[in-house]
Amino acid sequence: MAIKLTVNGQLRQLDIEADTPLLWVLRDELGLKGTKFGCGKGLCGACTVHLDGSPARSCSTPVSLAEGREVTTIEGLAPEGELHPLQLAWVEHNVPQCGYCQSGQIMSAAHLLSYNAAPSNDDIVAAMSGNLCRCRTYARIHAAIKSVSKHGEADA
Amino acid sequence: MSLSRREFLKATAVSGGGLMLSFSLGGCAASDNGYRESGGEGRWTPNAWLEITDQNGITLTIARVEMGQGTVTGMTTLVAEELDVPPDTLKTRFAPVGDAYRNPLYKLQLTGGSTSLATSWQPLREAGAAARIMLERAAARTWNVEARRCTGRDGRVWHPDGETSLSYGQLAALAAHETVPDPVPLRPRSEWRYIGKTNTRHDAEIKSTGQAEYGIDVDLPDMVYAVMTRPPRLGLRVEGFNADTVRAMPGVIDVVETERGVAIVADKYWRARKAQDALEIVWDETDALDLDVDHVFETYARAADDDPGETEREDGDVEQARSQAGQVLEAEYRVPFLAHATMEPMNATARVNENGIEVWAPTQAPDLGRIAAARVTDFSPDEVTIHTTWIGGGFGRRLTQDYIEEVAAIAFQVRRPVKLLWSREDDMRHDVYRPAMLHRLSATLSDEQITGWDHQIVGPQVLNWYARNAAAAQFPWAPKFLYDSLARVGVMAEGIATPKDTSAIEGAVEYPYAAPNVRVRHTHVDAGIPISYWRSVGHSHNGFVVETFMDEVAHSLGRDPYKFRRDLLKQKPGDLAVLDRAAKLGDWSRPVPEGRARGIAIHRSFGTLVAQVVEAGIEGGAIRVYRVACVVDCGQVVNPDVVRMQMESGILFGLTAALYGEIEFEQGAVKQGNFDDYRLLSMYDLPEMTIDIIDSEASPTGVGEPGVPPVMPALGNALFALTGKRQRNMPFKVEV
Repeated sequence: MAIKLTVNGQLRQLDIEADTPLLWVLRDELGLKGTKFGCGKGLCGACTVHLDGSPARSCSTPVSLAEGREVTTIEGLAPEGELHPLQLAWVEHNVPQCGYCQSGQIMSAAHLLSYNAAPSNDDIVAAMSGNLCRCRTYARIHAAIKSVSKHGEADA
Repeated sequence: MSLSRREFLKATAVSGGGLMLSFSLGGCAASDNGYRESGGEGRWTPNAWLEITDQNGITLTIARVEMGQGTVTGMTTLVAEELDVPPDTLKTRFAPVGDAYRNPLYKLQLTGGSTSLATSWQPLREAGAAARIMLERAAARTWNVEARRCTGRDGRVWHPDGETSLSYGQLAALAAHETVPDPVPLRPRSEWRYIGKTNTRHDAEIKSTGQAEYGIDVDLPDMVYAVMTRPPRLGLRVEGFNADTVRAMPGVIDVVETERGVAIVADKYWRARKAQDALEIVWDETDALDLDVDHVFETYARAADDDPGETEREDGDVEQARSQAGQVLEAEYRVPFLAHATMEPMNATARVNENGIEVWAPTQAPDLGRIAAARVTDFSPDEVTIHTTWIGGGFGRRLTQDYIEEVAAIAFQVRRPVKLLWSREDDMRHDVYRPAMLHRLSATLSDEQITGWDHQIVGPQVLNWYARNAAAAQFPWAPKFLYDSLARVGVMAEGIATPKDTSAIEGAVEYPYAAPNVRVRHTHVDAGIPISYWRSVGHSHNGFVVETFMDEVAHSLGRDPYKFRRDLLKQKPGDLAVLDRAAKLGDWSRPVPEGRARGIAIHRSFGTLVAQVVEAGIEGGAIRVYRVACVVDCGQVVNPDVVRMQMESGILFGLTAALYGEIEFEQGAVKQGNFDDYRLLSMYDLPEMTIDIIDSEASPTGVGEPGVPPVMPALGNALFALTGKRQRNMPFKVEV
């Protein structure tokens, strides 16, 4: 079917089977490889993108559900040539090891901060516990989010 | 290893103007998997290259891979220190295997065993220093001054006047004509600017912006996608399948049978997956391995009863100690099969042309990937090129090249550039697992002392399986029809590599405590389930068993587990320092908060010593880890934050195994399939971790694996202190 969606601010038109997960459309049709495949069942969060500003597991979101909506991926999180404050914090805190899950982690964290500029420790854990990391960079992810939040690191 | 620099560091001019130093990093993974490089004789070939040009700056090309462990960061720091440039100004490349990079003197190119930094500590610094000295000499010649009065600093060589300078790039072409210094003087420790001080990671930014290209991200023109259906149970073979039906599915290009299963090739990944639902395979069950996990342990127990095994260590006489003992303590331990579950599932991309095959893959062992691709195609190893990519987690999984074998077989048949991607379920159910093991221990106690330690390890050896993959790579001259028989014979029979497979016994034979009588035996028994290396390999179970049983001994003697260990390590000041500091860091002697308890463990692996104190409790019927204090002695620290990172990662990796890790077989089929039934620790489970690094000037040792082993016994020991119930099987369970 013909599908129209906005990806990172750009209107895209595709002819694709409606049940194709958004993940494969982003990666293979639009060349946006920053969003990763981890489990195919929404269990690990590696494929997290924003759909109209809310986090979505793109591996289990049929592209038809994205029709007419706005998709933001890791590539579109910050204006071109700039880093999102979270990305700066990720570098500052040496978060990534293998790095594979980090796009999804950052997208989940960005959503958290979009509605809660000063998350508590529990808020961070609640928002991030669905994003798995086999290198277990959780302590640094937590610290990096905290550093960007309004509370800063002071009361971490 | 000591190499003559004259022989092992070579300078050449880069076409277009520049300096290229070729050198050799020691063989990797030599200590833990039994393979050793074939020595220094014969023709020398480099496996690392340092290139300086005016246009492209400084590039380090290494025959190693990065899977999260920080190898790249550590290596650039070493070169940068001697070159005197900030480490982040170095560009890095991974060397492909094949053609120009092919190594005629056989040497396995693989990354594992926490050895990358240990083996490259000397040669990388020497390469950096040699390049700097040659640049200084070139500058001196230009200015007609004495070379020793010129100084390379911050990417430039400075004139004795302290004002004039030339950049390394400007001097590179001239420097290529200088002779390589021999010996190469290295900077004294007191003058280091980056080693031990650098804390940034080379790859943090590209991995925070989605720009790092992993295997799964490889994209070739006209590429198609493949998925593979493999036997649902061990030992099944394809008898037939409904090829015509599947070929008629939308987007399907071909359906091909390979040794490992039936592959569907389609224009889009999702179409290949959908077509897979329509694929019906008739399986030949002649050799089906219908075993359950209980059978595995029954097999082990029978073997242990029948065969005391090979004696791997014998000090004194444990039998005599037993006959004289006031008390004998006995226990049996079991650890399960474990999956690697890397976040990036297995995948590879291949392209066949008339001259050979190119493979892009996230692999820890490109040499073996080359052999794997050659074995299933008509190409010789020379005609296979392997391009390594960023790796989304390794943990030992990507030492096995089954996914490269699959993609090569598919690409060879369909003659299209093709990407093969495993689903999470494929990855979980067709892994090569950390072996399940059985341990029987007894300790003899007299006069409040341990007089004898007797440990029988029961289970398979990894190398027997790994050799099937690696044997042919050991014999590059062998014609391909010999590959299978080489694999069956394995490298051990040939005696060339003289490997000693320590995978089952490592971490147990080194029993570190003072005891007059020590015996460690290994009863070899293999249930037929594919196994491989898993982060910290044998240490992952032996560390758990030895340090838990030590705790049992301490408790049965009514001793404090920390002080008991301390008394038995008195002759080892290094061990004692690490243990004492961990006890202090973990508040061992302070009161424990209500409802919690502490456990302690210390374990050396890959040359690195780690002690940990775990504080744990039970919340809502589930084990909860609150704090982990960790002290590590890994020799000279190159990048302190990478060390801390690897300890954090190892701790949580070990806790995941202790709390959740279990792969079960039912009639030869793996029960678990995804993260809902093979759970990984999440941020919710995150304990507070404090890491302390011992200040040392000894040569650096690895940090990728040693954080894993001690945390499991430390947690189990804490749970015993809390509940009085000993955790002898993993994963741990508490009564609700």
